[in-house]
Amino acid sequence: MKALTDPPDGSNATSAQVDPSRVIASLSRDGVSLELKTIDLCFLAGLYLRADKAALASFEEEVLVDLFGQVCDIVEPTAENPRKRATHAIQRLREQRMLARVDGAGVIHAGEYALTRLAAAVVEYFLADEALTRESLTLLTGTLRAQLVAILDVAKKATDERAWREGVIGPLRVTVGDLVAGIERRQRGLDAQQEEVQSEIAQLLVADWFHAVNRCQELLDTTTVTLRELNEVLLRDTHHLVESLQHIQALANTAQYFEAEEVAQRVIEHIDRIADWGGARQHAWSEYYRRVHRYLRDVVRLDPDRALSQRLLDQLTAWPSRPFYMLVTQVPSIRLLRQLELKVERPLVARVRVDREANPQWVEPEDKIADLDALTRAAVEGGARTLSAVLGQVLAGLPVSEHYLAVGRIANVLVKITQVSSAKERLWEVLGELEVEEWDIGTNKEKF
Amino acid sequence: MGSGFQTLEEVIGDESFPEVDLTLRRGRHIGRDDGSLYEFLVDAQSLLEIFYRRYGCELVQRSDGFFYLLPTGDRLGRRQLSAGEMLVGQTLALLYLDPTTLQHAGVVSREDVLQRLSGLLGAERLFFALNPRKQRYIEHTAGETIRSQLAEVLRRLTELGFIDLFEESRIRLRPALMRFADPVRGLQDSQSALEQLIDRGELVVDNYGSEDEENAKNDEGSDL
Repeated sequence: MKALTDPPDGSNATSAQVDPSRVIASLSRDGVSLELKTIDLCFLAGLYLRADKAALASFEEEVLVDLFGQVCDIVEPTAENPRKRATHAIQRLREQRMLARVDGAGVIHAGEYALTRLAAAVVEYFLADEALTRESLTLLTGTLRAQLVAILDVAKKATDERAWREGVIGPLRVTVGDLVAGIERRQRGLDAQQEEVQSEIAQLLVADWFHAVNRCQELLDTTTVTLRELNEVLLRDTHHLVESLQHIQALANTAQYFEAEEVAQRVIEHIDRIADWGGARQHAWSEYYRRVHRYLRDVVRLDPDRALSQRLLDQLTAWPSRPFYMLVTQVPSIRLLRQLELKVERPLVARVRVDREANPQWVEPEDKIADLDALTRAAVEGGARTLSAVLGQVLAGLPVSEHYLAVGRIANVLVKITQVSSAKERLWEVLGELEVEEWDIGTNKEKF
Repeated sequence: MGSGFQTLEEVIGDESFPEVDLTLRRGRHIGRDDGSLYEFLVDAQSLLEIFYRRYGCELVQRSDGFFYLLPTGDRLGRRQLSAGEMLVGQTLALLYLDPTTLQHAGVVSREDVLQRLSGLLGAERLFFALNPRKQRYIEHTAGETIRSQLAEVLRRLTELGFIDLFEESRIRLRPALMRFADPVRGLQDSQSALEQLIDRGELVVDNYGSEDEENAKNDEGSDL
């Protein structure tokens, strides 16, 4: 098997390979946090826009201070000592990994700074209009299709590990991965935009009520059309994309390049998620659309002066002093009758009364150990020369349930009063339900 | 209306009939959100109106998009809503009319309802409205009592199809809530509208036999 274990340089570290618990633990250990004030965000946005406009990769310290001053003039025109504040802001942003010093000159002379990837992402979130549109989605899926066709060609011709790594795995991870991530990012943008539309509709109705109906309708229709178009594009294109990826997967499987197969599978899962998003959002939006539409028709249009809410409010506050009650039908649950049972006389729980203060009675003493001792001695004196012979005589007078206990005690007495021995090859004798090791009984210790 | 049913036999033979019939008799409002049950009622409306009239009930369809059974005789059981249900129902109707609720597709939280009720009535008045047999207002236990009563009232309003409860504390408001606004919906003054509704058998003004009485009996042991 030719498994490609080491990802190429620059490839995305896939989230599937990262252990979330470890990542969270390391973030917590490092005490990672972000605290950005409005002035900091504005400063970063200013830097981002300046870099974009002038195609700058980094800024000299003097430029940073100057730009901070300009931002201060807009955001906090009355602030004093902007130079000192600029120094603190730069320090703050460096500590939060928003600005990186790139000159490496230390304290020898003024530094040169660049925006970090984190800073760019934060600013882009606030600045960039990245909601998904029909145009952007068509462009992205078109590029994705072209990329996959090219990768598929390489996969068909690839014969060695290097060709698979550079022509298939790398592009799938980086180019295709970035394009898919781009679509997902724009989907999130459109989600945010939808939320804004919902908020805007509510605000319009609060502010203008009846006069806002047409504007609300337009907003509803625009978003509905956008979502429908996006869903159509997604339904059409994702099918082709998944088909190409499955083809690549099959080729990788045949060539036994399992990593390529795995990477293609991950991209397929991403694309499935993108397609699911389209269906789910359209469904959710149609629910919302129906509700707003009904509201506009049944509430707003029928009450153009918005008097109903006020009248209902008056009714509610006056209700405790002038109550009325709504009537509704109510069918009680079916009454289930119990099965008829004859009364059963249960016997009383009782026992015979006894006189607990009665005097103790005399009974015959019982000493089984003493009896066993005497019987064993008698058997030995009677000429029994083996353990089984002694046991045979003594146990004969005892109930079977006590045989096991008695054997141990008899053996104990024999050891005390005689010399016992056993053959090297030990013999076992069966006595009723017991099996005992045979001993030879020698001289009686008590007589010699 | 192009009814899908020609005879009452077809209506009763439909698989939706038992559920719809039981639901209506239990006092529940069936709205567009109920999907196939609502569609069945729309299709069978003319035949079911005659059917339920024989039980002393009127099958009412409202333009807000819901059906319910109005008891006009004594053949079917009926009950009047409790004071707590009436107060909470009217508050929910107010929230239904509020455009800010629309932003969340008509979903509010229990806290929203409680805040609005407290704001309108005040905690003490609300406490006695929800617990009519309580004699004393004890501040440190009142909050908990109000919450538990509110939960019970919401449960009963859910059974009647005025709201849907989900995810523990989320409440989806349904168009049937507009019944609580009936006395003030028309152009005439609310008093004459109220009288008309009482004449039609939609409302009563006497508070007897409501569930408050039942609840109060159960609560008597806990009165301080």
